[in-house]
Amino acid sequence: MPRIAGVDIPSAKRIDVALQYIYGIGAHRAQEILRKAGIDASVRANKLTEDEVSRIAGIIERDYAVEGQLRRQVQQNIARLRDIRCYRGLRHMRGLPVRGQRTRTNARTRKGPRKTVAGKKSVKEMR
Amino acid sequence: MSRSMKKGPYVDEVLFNKVARLRDTGANTPVKVWNRACTIVPEFVGQNFDVHNGKTFIRVYVTEDMVGHKLGEFAPTRTFRSHTAREVKK
Repeated sequence: MPRIAGVDIPSAKRIDVALQYIYGIGAHRAQEILRKAGIDASVRANKLTEDEVSRIAGIIERDYAVEGQLRRQVQQNIARLRDIRCYRGLRHMRGLPVRGQRTRTNARTRKGPRKTVAGKKSVKEMR
Repeated sequence: MSRSMKKGPYVDEVLFNKVARLRDTGANTPVKVWNRACTIVPEFVGQNFDVHNGKTFIRVYVTEDMVGHKLGEFAPTRTFRSHTAREVKK
């Protein structure tokens, strides 16, 4: 199995799909990389030659932040918002939605499982 | 939608001039601001601002990291209320 960008071992799928198993590479970037490397997207990942694999790896290494490096970048951006104590930073600290979504209902992705509170009107009662 | 590049950042000119005058004198006295939408430009770094939050003024010391944000982002307008932590069920 080919090994690209550290720990990632994409499977026996088409190479444009296999590349998307790497954190930081989606459909668009996968196509972009293959275009740069001059490799047909429909080839299965395990059918690639050694040379083609290293060409892909080289392009990713050079042009993109992926995996740990990218994760660190994201964390740093959030840490910066927290440090300057701006509105977005505060929302991150409190685990609430950052981009102005409503919190009266929904927002469960950020808030986690519902915590029932006594005395709070349910959606049914509000109508 | 983000603001058009053509227009450049939105900066309150009156405030900008006031800060420029303060910098010339080397003073660091806080400036009262009501215009929360004003972008923080590099010239503001190291100055104190008293940003209105609708009720009182919040003291904001501008650091380099804050450039590009708006003054209002640093003066919360809402009081954050949280519930006390739920008791662990036995």
